[in-house]
Amino acid sequence: MLKKEPAPPEVAENAPVTVAALEAVFAGCYDFESRDLHIGGDTSNKARLCFIDGLVSGSDVAEQVIRPLTDPERFAGVRGAQAIARLLGGSVYVYTAKCRETLGDLASDLLNGFCALIFDAERRAVTFEVKSPQRRGVDAPKEEKVVKGAKDAFVETMKINTTLVRRKLRNPHLKIKEFPLGERARTSATLVYIDGFTNAELVAEASRRLEKIEVEGALTSAVIEENIVDRHRSPFPQVISTERTDKFCMNLLEGRVGMLVDGLPLGFLVPGTFSQFMKVPEDHSGHFIVASALTLLRYLSVALTLLAPAFYVAVAMYHQEMIPTRLLQSMIEAHASVPFPTAVEVVLMLLAFELLQEAGIRLPSPIGETVSIIGALIVGQSAVEASVVSPVVVVVVALAGIAGYTMPNIDMGSALRLCRFLLVLAAIFLGMFGVAMGCALIVYHLSSLESFGVPYMSPFAGSEGRHQSRALLRKSMTVKRDREPELKTGDGGEAKL
Amino acid sequence: MKKTICLALALALTLALTGCSKGLTIFSNYRRIENIELVRVFTADALEDGVLVSIYGTAGEQNDARMVEKSGPSLGTAMGELLMMPLGREAILSHTENLLIGEDMARERLNECLDYVERYSETRLDIGLLIVRGSSARDLLKGLSGSDPSAADVIAGLANHIARVGEGTVFTCREAAVSLLENGVALIQCVRGVEEERLFDARGDLNLEPDGFAVVTEDGSTLEFLTGEETLGCLLLLSRLEAKDLDLTVEDTVATVSVEELKTAYEPVFDGDGALTKIKVRITAGAKLVSLRGVADVTKKSWREAAERALSETLRDAAQAAVVRSQTLGLDFLDLHGITARKHPMKLAAMGRDWSEIFPTLPVEVEVEGALRRTFDIMDSPEIAEKEEMTPWEKLTESLKDN
Repeated sequence: MLKKEPAPPEVAENAPVTVAALEAVFAGCYDFESRDLHIGGDTSNKARLCFIDGLVSGSDVAEQVIRPLTDPERFAGVRGAQAIARLLGGSVYVYTAKCRETLGDLASDLLNGFCALIFDAERRAVTFEVKSPQRRGVDAPKEEKVVKGAKDAFVETMKINTTLVRRKLRNPHLKIKEFPLGERARTSATLVYIDGFTNAELVAEASRRLEKIEVEGALTSAVIEENIVDRHRSPFPQVISTERTDKFCMNLLEGRVGMLVDGLPLGFLVPGTFSQFMKVPEDHSGHFIVASALTLLRYLSVALTLLAPAFYVAVAMYHQEMIPTRLLQSMIEAHASVPFPTAVEVVLMLLAFELLQEAGIRLPSPIGETVSIIGALIVGQSAVEASVVSPVVVVVVALAGIAGYTMPNIDMGSALRLCRFLLVLAAIFLGMFGVAMGCALIVYHLSSLESFGVPYMSPFAGSEGRHQSRALLRKSMTVKRDREPELKTGDGGEAKL
Repeated sequence: MKKTICLALALALTLALTGCSKGLTIFSNYRRIENIELVRVFTADALEDGVLVSIYGTAGEQNDARMVEKSGPSLGTAMGELLMMPLGREAILSHTENLLIGEDMARERLNECLDYVERYSETRLDIGLLIVRGSSARDLLKGLSGSDPSAADVIAGLANHIARVGEGTVFTCREAAVSLLENGVALIQCVRGVEEERLFDARGDLNLEPDGFAVVTEDGSTLEFLTGEETLGCLLLLSRLEAKDLDLTVEDTVATVSVEELKTAYEPVFDGDGALTKIKVRITAGAKLVSLRGVADVTKKSWREAAERALSETLRDAAQAAVVRSQTLGLDFLDLHGITARKHPMKLAAMGRDWSEIFPTLPVEVEVEGALRRTFDIMDSPEIAEKEEMTPWEKLTESLKDN
């Protein structure tokens, strides 16, 4: 049995800066490097250079910090506080230099790609930003396909992400407020909003919720989403997450608050409403009539993906009178050689579909595609030929699955998949009554949800009638349109986006 | 939490609405789809001491249709025994399209048929109701059963087709029941089986043809039949005519026109004392020229007017014939009472007279406006026709206006 490891000594955040204290903090970190430097080449005038190897650029440290610091012409006879003043005044070639007096700040800087010069006698350190340039470049979004629009997606580096947003919204009122997340990981998160335009209460609430997050580290999107939503038990997404910068900026312009987290190639937007999850940025790229038709198609897809299998089970098991005669004759004919009852058949097919989908997602893309094709052939054609399932069930399950793929948001698609299973179970046990009851429960649940004070089903619920068409139809860009009243934006009037 | 428990309890209580009546199992209404047999047509014939019922059902598309029959003291008992027969499949009546009844059944036990359709949970009220003439309903169905397409398809085809050729219309069980309830009389489509010689098949086969309407009273005291002109008149007055080809003698030619656009409007007329003096019926009918025997310039206004006059007269005669027959029988199968009651309920009620007293002698004025809309002649357009009737001076001013 393993012995329990003794807990590392707690380091006071506000402890004064000393080399010994810092080395104690990073004890056991093989990538922590430190060495003495002779300031101005004077062997009696020492300072300790510390950095985390890999997080900083070695050449930048050597060229921009060590070289000028050891130059006798610049630093001969300069000691202690005078040396610190010179360093902060620009005697080395690094554009960001900070004076740190507490151990907590110093450690944080080191972990964020700074190197530090510690003056033990002064109990202070000067930190320089010399981040390693090893980072992923801006690329096209992988999960959200761009048909006609900007191809830059968020990356894992916060600075790049804020730059991408700034490039799109060149407005001094665009504020980016930083919050550290995670007691141990100390991940940097930012709140992005347009000052004076975005509802101040919304900004304050988002800040409050971000500050309240108590986690070890914010390394996954769920850490943010589940900690800031109103009802974390609901399977429906209440935070819009996107890797597309254009979508992120578009929502900021509509009055939403954005969040970026270092290490996550995603932007988060609140409040998230059902209608927002039905929209894609391409709605604003294509012709408004086509965009409106496609939006309506997506709502139809929601109904199909949710209800098609449940409706089939209900009518095939209990309400055969609802099926047109010819279709029922075909169904009887097709089902004659299938040994399973309809309920088993549909559940089996739905499970097979989910398995295929999971396999396709988890496997590397060429293999994933192959699995999907083979799976479709096996589950579809072969299963029908072997009389394991009837062709109508394959059609119904495939239709529901394909309709689910039209969801612009993967979290919404997953929530609908879950509801689809529950509705099928309700249909198996209670027929059409069960389907109706399940639908009523889903509508009840959705109507009771709120995201940052905004009704989840707005503008369908909790809004004036004239705003309801906004969710379904897009007006021409030449026409000024009403802003979303629920967002209570600063101008509160019309927008031309 | 309290809210959730309340909601769960409310939903649990509504389970009673699911129709789970047989014990605790919730699958009491479950039917395996492959065990179902769809009854598409059933017949009922009166016997001396009961009813003979036949059902014609199919399972899958490729499965052979089956016809089984059973007699019993009443339609309900015979049908019940028939549906319980160990056929290996469960016969369901939810997809029944048509109910065929024999003449005797129509005369003696029509109410029983309609009652069964209304009360049985599976049967739909829009089942087409047909009376078989010339044979029993069972014999007709049996005769049709050997045919391809199936007997059910032949009957459904006829039901869909007859209104388009103006040979009748199939009233549903609901319509018949409503008419019996409101007017004490119902119109029911009649059919007859005919031997058909097939061109590519030596086997003679039975087919179905419409045979006018039957007028049936609720108490079974009357069973009369309407044919030819009276049938057309009923279709016109009930606004059930979709299309009808008519031969009209126009000047020296015989024009076949297809009447398609039809509108019937009723106007009950009351005098100063509040008495119903007459009912004005205005029928507007649009027609198109289908063919012409003889030579005539069909674009000429005079020919068109003659054709429209002939059309109006033909339709008026048909409508009048139906009205006269209705009044002679003293049976308001055209629902004139219902029309008057809907248009002037207060005035009709204030009259205080029984409809059966007023109806047989009530003048019904039928006015028909027939219009020949299209002749399919290249010169046939309203503009050309108007210009041809213009004087040279009018033509000149018109052309100047155009320029």
